[in-house]
Amino acid sequence: MKRLNLLAWQIGVGLAFLAAWHVFSTVKFGGAKPPLDPFFFSTPLDVIARTWKSFASGEIWRHLWITLVETALAFGIGASTGVAFGFGFALRPKLAAIFDPYIKMANALPRVVLAPIFMLWFGLGIWSKVALGFTLVFFIVFFNVYQGVREVSPVVLANARMLGMNDRQLMRHVYWPAALTWMFSSLHTAVGFALVGAVVGEYLGASAGLGYKIHEAESVFDTTGVFSGMVILAAVVIIIDVAMTMVERRLLVWRPNHDSGAHQT
Amino acid sequence: MAAATPASGLRTEPAPALARNAVSLEGLAIAFALGSGGHYRAVEQIDLSVADGEFVAIVGPTGCGKSTLLNAAAGLLKPAEGRVGIYGEPLSGLNRRAGYLFQQDALMPWKTALANVAVALEPQGVGAAEAQERARQWLGRVGLSAFAERYPHMLSGGQRKRVALAQMLIRNPEILLMDEPFGPLDAQTRQIMGNLLLDLWAADRKAVMFVTHDLEEAIALSDRVVVMSAGPAARIVGDYSVPLARPRDIADIRLDKVFHEIQREIWATLKVEVQKAYAQGEGRA
Repeated sequence: MKRLNLLAWQIGVGLAFLAAWHVFSTVKFGGAKPPLDPFFFSTPLDVIARTWKSFASGEIWRHLWITLVETALAFGIGASTGVAFGFGFALRPKLAAIFDPYIKMANALPRVVLAPIFMLWFGLGIWSKVALGFTLVFFIVFFNVYQGVREVSPVVLANARMLGMNDRQLMRHVYWPAALTWMFSSLHTAVGFALVGAVVGEYLGASAGLGYKIHEAESVFDTTGVFSGMVILAAVVIIIDVAMTMVERRLLVWRPNHDSGAHQT
Repeated sequence: MAAATPASGLRTEPAPALARNAVSLEGLAIAFALGSGGHYRAVEQIDLSVADGEFVAIVGPTGCGKSTLLNAAAGLLKPAEGRVGIYGEPLSGLNRRAGYLFQQDALMPWKTALANVAVALEPQGVGAAEAQERARQWLGRVGLSAFAERYPHMLSGGQRKRVALAQMLIRNPEILLMDEPFGPLDAQTRQIMGNLLLDLWAADRKAVMFVTHDLEEAIALSDRVVVMSAGPAARIVGDYSVPLARPRDIADIRLDKVFHEIQREIWATLKVEVQKAYAQGEGRA
């Protein structure tokens, strides 16, 4: 009951927003133009029609596919290197101390400024976008895993050692699961950033992809096209996020407040 | 897998005084480095031995370094002075012959109760299937057969302690080190856990060092109660044997006359230290 109620409200807010957009971009209220000039703001119906058309004609699929491939590569490569480095540094504090200032520096750098240099290095194809997404994903995962491994409960660790575990067993039964938790808590953000990297890269220079489509629409003042691209992007992010949540639920069943099966006896 | 404990007569070399004891602490002092550069001496001049099969409880005011002694016997802490002998051999590194029951939750939260117990056999090279089977038996022994697939957060505090107990005992360690294991539990659960511990222990009497701040619990469980002074630089100020018959029920035994006499006697010593510790605490605040 409560869930349905909430859902009704959520849908209501969306519809109200669309209705307001529609009214203010089509009704003139006595002026020469509607308060939201459709040239700059488009109208919801146009955006929906355009989105529908681009899927129906099939021309969007190619762009969507390329953006998703870039996202997946950036995420996969970034997350795995992030895990490897996070682990390595957490278990070798000296190494971590030496590299600390450089890592901070690299992380402080706004990643967008790297896009031109990646473009030079990797060309206009997908790899310059993957590289940009990589720099975003890597640091999120890296910091989370690094933190996760270092903050393994000392009691759990001491207990595992008293059970006679060697380094390899400690890694498998203690460090790795601990790091995995933190990796997963950063996963939602990381996937989002992988997509951001791909789209921004495409926006700055590409011949295909959703970012390219949006840029193309923008350069001919086609606001409907820009909004349509944004709607598709948002939908993709939501779908990925739902999938992530499902994977996370599956892998982190042991965590408190994570599934309804939890009860105290 | 030789079940025989190293009998003193068979050995030629090691010090005979050490050989009979499961644990012997000699002239032990433990210090911690302080952030300010100085040292905090937690305990000093500790001479304590635990015979094979003996259940020794260590009581003392909070912060007196009781747990420090356990950690030294476990090899988790290096003493600043003195030596730790385990069955006559000087301890270096972790104490492989001891099991440790921590006060805090020490189970791996990402493993089920069953997996937590079974994993304790992995370092001994027991195969996964056999480890599972034996873990199931141990969960049965601690009364948790129905909870094998639960994760620690789905268990109550008392149930988690039972899993930890099974995890420690499944390895069949020769020495049990317990650091206020039932401290966080409520009074009734403590009694149930105490009786469970005594039952399991009676099966193959291992040497036990049991740290607690609860004098009644100490007397009810142990053969010997050791009293420590208030810290810093805590020492042993009393050593009392508990001549109560076994098997015991730790709820009933508290009504025994002898129990009260022992309690009165030990409390006379402990009270002074508790008051000292309390006064120090007030002074610091």
